[in-house]
Amino acid sequence: MSKNWNIERRTFLRSAAGALVPLPFLNLMESSAKAASLDLAGDSKPPLRFVTLFKPNGVHPPSWNIEGGKENDFRMSPLMAPFAKHKDDLLILDNMGDFGFSSHSNSTRRFLSGHHQNNKSASVDQLIADKISGDTAHRSLELTTEGLFTNQIDCSYISYDKKGGRIPRESDPQLVFDRLFRNPMRDPNQREEISSLLDRVRDDAKSLQRKAGREDQETLEEYFTVIRETEKRLEKMAPVSGPGGVDFSSLKRPEGAADLNEQVESMLDVMAMALWTDSTRCISYMLGNSNSRMIFDFLGIRKQHHYLSHFFRNFSRENIDSLLKISLWHMEKFDYLLTKLKSYKDQNGSLLDHSIVLFGSGMGHSDNHTAQRIPIVLAGKGGGMLKTGRYLRYSKNQELGRLHLSLLQKFGVDSPSYANSSAPLPGLDGGHFEEYQERPFDNWVKTGKGKITVQGRLRMSDNLDEAKVFYIDVDGKAPVRIEVNFGDFHGFNLAYHVGTPITLTGNTSERNGRLVLTKVTDLKSVFGKSKPGKAKG
Amino acid sequence: MRSFLSALVFTATLPASLLAFEKEVRPILEHSCLKCHGGEKVKGKVDFSKILTEQDADAQFELWETVVEVLEANEMPPEDEPHLNAADRKTIIDWYQRRSQASIEAKPTVFKPRRLSGPEYRNTLRSLFGFDLEIAVAEAEQTVITDQSLVLKLLPTDPPGNSGFINDTHRARLSSSIWEQYLHLSNAALEKLFSKNGRTQLGEFIGKTLPSNWQPTALSQDQAERLIRAFAPRALRRPVPEKELSKALSTVSGKQGAALLAATKLELKAILMSPSFFYRGLLMEGEPGKQQAVDQFELAERLSYFLWEDRPDEELTRLTTDGALSNEKTMNAQVARMLSSPKARSLAESFGAQWLEINSLDGLLGKDPIRHHALKTQTIDFLNYLFTENRPVMELIDSKITFVNQGTSGFYGKDRQRMKRYTKAKGIERQRTPNQKLELVHAEGRGGLLTMPGILTMNQGPIQRGTWILRRILGEQIGEPPADTPPIKGSPRGQNLSFRERFELHRSDVTCARCHEKIDPLGFALEAYDQNGQFLRATDRPKKKSNKPAPPVDTSGKLPSGETFETFGELKAILLTKKREPIVRNIVEHTLSYALCRKLVRNDQPIVDAITKNLCENDGTWQDLFQQVANSLPFRETIIETAPISHE
Repeated sequence: MSKNWNIERRTFLRSAAGALVPLPFLNLMESSAKAASLDLAGDSKPPLRFVTLFKPNGVHPPSWNIEGGKENDFRMSPLMAPFAKHKDDLLILDNMGDFGFSSHSNSTRRFLSGHHQNNKSASVDQLIADKISGDTAHRSLELTTEGLFTNQIDCSYISYDKKGGRIPRESDPQLVFDRLFRNPMRDPNQREEISSLLDRVRDDAKSLQRKAGREDQETLEEYFTVIRETEKRLEKMAPVSGPGGVDFSSLKRPEGAADLNEQVESMLDVMAMALWTDSTRCISYMLGNSNSRMIFDFLGIRKQHHYLSHFFRNFSRENIDSLLKISLWHMEKFDYLLTKLKSYKDQNGSLLDHSIVLFGSGMGHSDNHTAQRIPIVLAGKGGGMLKTGRYLRYSKNQELGRLHLSLLQKFGVDSPSYANSSAPLPGLDGGHFEEYQERPFDNWVKTGKGKITVQGRLRMSDNLDEAKVFYIDVDGKAPVRIEVNFGDFHGFNLAYHVGTPITLTGNTSERNGRLVLTKVTDLKSVFGKSKPGKAKG
Repeated sequence: MRSFLSALVFTATLPASLLAFEKEVRPILEHSCLKCHGGEKVKGKVDFSKILTEQDADAQFELWETVVEVLEANEMPPEDEPHLNAADRKTIIDWYQRRSQASIEAKPTVFKPRRLSGPEYRNTLRSLFGFDLEIAVAEAEQTVITDQSLVLKLLPTDPPGNSGFINDTHRARLSSSIWEQYLHLSNAALEKLFSKNGRTQLGEFIGKTLPSNWQPTALSQDQAERLIRAFAPRALRRPVPEKELSKALSTVSGKQGAALLAATKLELKAILMSPSFFYRGLLMEGEPGKQQAVDQFELAERLSYFLWEDRPDEELTRLTTDGALSNEKTMNAQVARMLSSPKARSLAESFGAQWLEINSLDGLLGKDPIRHHALKTQTIDFLNYLFTENRPVMELIDSKITFVNQGTSGFYGKDRQRMKRYTKAKGIERQRTPNQKLELVHAEGRGGLLTMPGILTMNQGPIQRGTWILRRILGEQIGEPPADTPPIKGSPRGQNLSFRERFELHRSDVTCARCHEKIDPLGFALEAYDQNGQFLRATDRPKKKSNKPAPPVDTSGKLPSGETFETFGELKAILLTKKREPIVRNIVEHTLSYALCRKLVRNDQPIVDAITKNLCENDGTWQDLFQQVANSLPFRETIIETAPISHE
């Protein structure tokens, strides 16, 4: 029976049934030492892995952005707090993405494909998988939490095959676990069990056969044929255990998830096991569809995520708090994955040391969908490919394709260009480049006759009660407060320029004895494009 | 076919006709027809090569109706083949008429085991274990989840059988890949039973509440035995003889801890993987070579899979012990009780949706899941209301009640004002809403299934709509259009003909007219409804680009049986009166076929006749129908074949 008519049941995520139960991985920790020592016998290097974690529906920029800060001297933002402890393993990129506005589906496609029009070739994770998968049992895994968002279908996919086709995703940790580790035909223990099961059911069926009529007989014949075929298959398939002699039956199958949190943590557990047993080296995982209208009732939130993500239009302090709670939950899951990857020993280091994890979203400001200052964090040293512990703030908005091209080259994929980018993103391995060195600029303010012109770095108010308020900091003076309507916010795309120096002209009025810019008449970017083009990106 | 069936009377068969087919008809077929129909080729899916005896001929009786039709119209053999002489033609037509007037004996068919369909297997596991096997996937508004059930995700989709229903699994073969999926599902279910999430259910099996900190390895000998004893008969839907049980019990005896747990799981798995579990009927007892009542357990199973797509519940199982279900009154009481259970919704969701092709609305899922939900649940809720609330069968065609939510309320004019106010909670952008039961007072052109927006949306254009009513509601068999059908021509120069007028030119071809004179009046009568199912009043017809007022829509028509009408409302009145008998008959045929999980055969016709007559005379309800089906001869009886015979 379908549950469709039961609105309560369908609309809200199951709420948490009791305390969260972390899945034990102690059994793995024990056997990991064994595996590592076996592996160490040769001088083979540990394999490299590439993992992607996608966060839906952008961010609330003032809570995500790192304000100020230098490459090696910066403070993590409030939204980064959950994974701040991994600072030394992170490479935080700023000013990624170069589109003014972006639809949900295009921004999702671009996340791993560099450009939304790059829809005839594989996403970067798939190209890397081709290169690094070697003889692993599973070339790659494509995972998600949700069903399909069919209205804009690309919102549901980040991984695309070599013809640009959408790769089906799986959402159930138990099912993925079973596929990876419980192939009953290959597991030595289960083979024995199947063998006795086959004997057992054949005997039962034989006793039926004695009294069967013709119709029954035919049915039973078919059944016996299947039993015989299964036996033959069992004989043909050699028992296999994991690389380094990991006994798959020692891996703990995740329990059925009671809510989204358990579902996601179980999946992250399975991902870590899959990487550690070298069952696969490449995984992409979506924490939700872009545009997702999921309701995070296990966090005590009853409003749809997409509604909350439009925090400018749907402003209330309560909405902002709810949105941040959801984003913080996403960040916690990123932390969970990193912690897990660190807990596995992989030769001389941890699993994370030999992996690159790409975490991020398709858009920056989640209300007006700017695809600029997109949250992008790389984690793990990738066996020395990345120099972590740094914050790279590129002076100009960078095409995502440059990052992808860089990653491709680092993983040894011989490619002169990717999507619309032909120059790799510099600086990831620690080399210094001008591109993430912002040139010095002047800041000043001129006022008169109800007009104001101000130059300086634009930022959003960090007061959560003021989601619609921007500031430009001017040395030695009070910051200029900007409080405009949705038309100006959207028309001049203030969100696109947040974090960068601009020259802004507009009308002022006095509020509480302070000049406030209430209407924008002109906006010029000091270094970048004043009017970001590609509005339909 | 209708005419001869309604003329049937219960008399002895005429032995004279018995040999006529083999002696008289068969040689003509071999000489004149077999070349294209079963010899070198099988054209038009008509194959005479396998029809060797009168019995074979009877099994495909509807075929002969077509044969006679094409012979009478001189359509066969085709022009470029040797003609059939008049005498041979007459022989076949005479044989058909004799045969069709011969009375038919009501008889059950030979007993055939069949594999559980996907939904049946899912429901059986669910009610056996007390939990569902679902894939973990987050649910959100507008997100499409097509395979939340692990069972339906892993098992291949059942194709409809000969009956058109997916519970007719007689030809769905078992393969080793399906066997492995069963194994996976059995593993998953047992894994869950012994996990924390299955603690209550496990406790229920062994008759003891287990503490939350209970570990499966603490399973005792006694508990393992109780578990197997409780599990086996529930899974196999009948008591399991001690002899059979003792085999299972002996393998767990003397073990403890992990070894006992493993042995117990293996025994339970052996039950789930045995053919007696996922086939129905292998364990039925009976006397070979005889027509007889099915045993009590089989009868209970037939009833519960018919009404619930599920195994019998405890009450039904209790009634099997003293043969109470054989009593017609007890059976009727059980049908009424079972229809009041939420499980009976499967009648609407499986039987109703498959019969009326409502799943063809699923094409909308990708475009607009919320609209899909509104249109589909409206029809399902309506059918569920008719089926489970003892409504007259003819309310399928016209009813004062409908079910409406935000997505469909726009179709119901003033009546929507009486709906309970719905306000979207703050922060909710899109939402599917449950249907409300609504009495129709003002709504123009509504009432009954045929003008529900979902039905009008899934069938677009007069031809699709007409064909659907003809096949699904009136129960007429019509073939596919011939492959060489010419396209509908445009208007001749200088004339501005409507689609209907152009179509009438097209129809003037005799071969086309044979079906289209039946299809078209039904379909064109619905021309006042646009492709979304909106009823267009004459005043709000869309104007064409040319700014000329659109010509008035012609919804008038004449049925082949002579009745004429101006509007769909008038056609509906004809359906409710003059066409009542064929519609009720069609309803009975589909219901009986679904209940028996097979295509109807000639020997079912007396039953169909009797139930149809009864329902027509008494303005019978769906519950009456289900009760009469459950008490009918083919439902209660069977013929068990004699011991194995060798294959030739």
